[in-house]
Amino acid sequence: MSAPSVPGVRRQGRGDRSAPLFAGPVVLLAGLFLVLPMGLALVFSLTEIAPLSGEVGWVGLANFATMAADPTFFRSLLNTALFALVTVPGSMAIGLALALLMNSVLPARPLFRTVVYLPLVISGVAVGLIGSLLFNETSGVLRALALALGLPVVPWQSSGPAAFASVVLITLWVRVGFCMIIYLAALQAVPPELHEAAQVEGASGWQRFHHVTLPLLGPATFFLLIMSVIYSFNVFDTVFVLTGGGPGSATEVLGTYAYDTAFGPARDQGYGAAIGVVVFVLTMVFTLVQWRRSRAARDGAL
Amino acid sequence: MIDRRSLLLGGAGLGAAALGGCAGFTGQGGGEASRGQTTLTFVNWSGDAEKAASDALISRFEEANPDIRVETQTVPYADISTNIDSRFQAGDPPDLFRVSYIDIGLYTSQGVLLDLSETIGARAGEFVPGLYEAVVVDQVPYGVPHQIDTTAVLYRTDAFEAAGITDVPTGLEQAWSWAELAEVAERLKGVTGADQYPFVYNWQAAGAYRWLSWLFQAGGRLLTRGLDAAAVASDEGRRAVEFTQRFFTEEWVARNTSTQATTYASDEFVAGTAAMAFVGDFSLPTIDTGADFEYGVLPMPRDVEAASDLGGNAVVAAADGPNTGAAARFCAFIAEEEQMRRYCEATGQLPTLTALTETELAFEVRPDLMPTFVEQATTLTAEQVRQVTVPAFGRINALLGEELEQAFLGGRDAAATVDALAAAVDGALG
Repeated sequence: MSAPSVPGVRRQGRGDRSAPLFAGPVVLLAGLFLVLPMGLALVFSLTEIAPLSGEVGWVGLANFATMAADPTFFRSLLNTALFALVTVPGSMAIGLALALLMNSVLPARPLFRTVVYLPLVISGVAVGLIGSLLFNETSGVLRALALALGLPVVPWQSSGPAAFASVVLITLWVRVGFCMIIYLAALQAVPPELHEAAQVEGASGWQRFHHVTLPLLGPATFFLLIMSVIYSFNVFDTVFVLTGGGPGSATEVLGTYAYDTAFGPARDQGYGAAIGVVVFVLTMVFTLVQWRRSRAARDGAL
Repeated sequence: MIDRRSLLLGGAGLGAAALGGCAGFTGQGGGEASRGQTTLTFVNWSGDAEKAASDALISRFEEANPDIRVETQTVPYADISTNIDSRFQAGDPPDLFRVSYIDIGLYTSQGVLLDLSETIGARAGEFVPGLYEAVVVDQVPYGVPHQIDTTAVLYRTDAFEAAGITDVPTGLEQAWSWAELAEVAERLKGVTGADQYPFVYNWQAAGAYRWLSWLFQAGGRLLTRGLDAAAVASDEGRRAVEFTQRFFTEEWVARNTSTQATTYASDEFVAGTAAMAFVGDFSLPTIDTGADFEYGVLPMPRDVEAASDLGGNAVVAAADGPNTGAAARFCAFIAEEEQMRRYCEATGQLPTLTALTETELAFEVRPDLMPTFVEQATTLTAEQVRQVTVPAFGRINALLGEELEQAFLGGRDAAATVDALAAAVDGALG
């Protein structure tokens, strides 16, 4: 353990020996609870684990070979991709629209801001439960509403596409607030002089948005894109509680499938870990590609 | 072979080395050496009535055995397997836990349960034979068959009156045929509004195995006599799928009550969305607290046979641990006639001791309905029990849920469904 720096001795900017003390706890916790489990998941993905004794048998890449021939895995992968494809642009577009509204002369802005942001602070399980009260096919709020208004009743739980839509809708409800807050912060950092200059040059409202605001929101968009895609690929609690992956496997996503495989009746923890590794690799590849594209765009702009 | 625990410990060792000086993070107690007092951990799941009955049972045990304390850890039913399995993997299983008959095969087949030959085995002849077999592997009993429950049909009297259904069967002899059930469902459909379906069946939430009642009623089998291959791809299997598919196509049940739904039949009945509910007797205390309408009971319909499902649970002890002697004493205690009688009377569950099945119990909740469940339980056969307690049954149950849902909601026909079921079951059996 390094001694704390002695008072009176001139601090050396770079070689300050107290740095490890400050970094230590974070590195230790991240190592123990993030890096170590990830490393172990990678190891377990190459094994078969007996459900009770925990005996580990090496099977090499057999779990990945099983995956390549597993229709439920591909269904989950497709569902997850579709889920990301709808919720990521959807929540970002609605979040941006709301941020623009909140950044304007809307009355009672703090109230609206809070209302939109509030769902984000609710736990995913609670969101799922709220969703099941809304979407229950025989006793849900939406059914009562549809009957009262004379609209057709949607089979939110027993029809695959409708169940998928219910998961998307509830996710948008939660995620829009997050996108709005990030975009709002970015909008408030746009220098008003630029807008004034553009206005003087005769730019229309749309032109100012397209050529001034939007480019300056680039970093916020990049951040939201990465965070939202990671969220979408890891979605679990809401789906698990709201639909349990059903009907059939219509709303099964990689997160719920990995959990069911590892801890459900199949009790196949090695295969479950292998699915987790695939989720990790997919999000990692996406992040790297986006990061490179964003860096290239920035370098090109300079 | 490496133990997963040693891998984890190896990893933890790295962390521990890094922790270095920061010792004493969470000092493990360990020092609580017993001064003549043993504490048993008992992992259980329970509704309110079961919890009260279980606590009372434990108090009586502690009174009779002052040197032993039993600490109950109640977990949700949905999490029980995850809880127990992870504790076994971590090398720290509970001394005692409750396990359903459909899951017990996994534990007995892995040799992790305490051999109860001296306590329970010595009294083998006192249990109902088919039920005793559920806890036995190679002549060794690995648990107490503590109670059973089975499904019968609850019905709303207001709905029956509205539909003019007066001919309600009271005993197995008068049980409806499948055709009669269909006719009743159609009549109920005519009077129940858009908010109420003719019935709800309890195959949701890990209850897919309850579909087997229809297969058994049709005279079919899930597994061959050798229990080593599927036998469901048969005329009887197709008949059972076809008939249960009609529940959905004819709108006798709500489409969100299929095998993979997250609802419970008893909750749907209490909420008023079904005129009849196929439910286990263990649900009666909860239903009776929640229902604000009159209801009665009738037996399961029958086809070529009468059949219902084997619900219920055994209490088992972990094979390795410092307290196996005390755990065995607890198992012996709860299998005593007096203790089983009081537990069953309080919870509306059925006993497994022949002496008790032959006497009338004073059930605390709706004693007027219980005789139908008691009579229904006589339709369980040892041959059916064998099929649902094979080690792979937990997995088979999950696959049943998946495959049946494709028939119920996905529109797959009966022949393709039983073929898929047979392939899935064969896969699970290995």
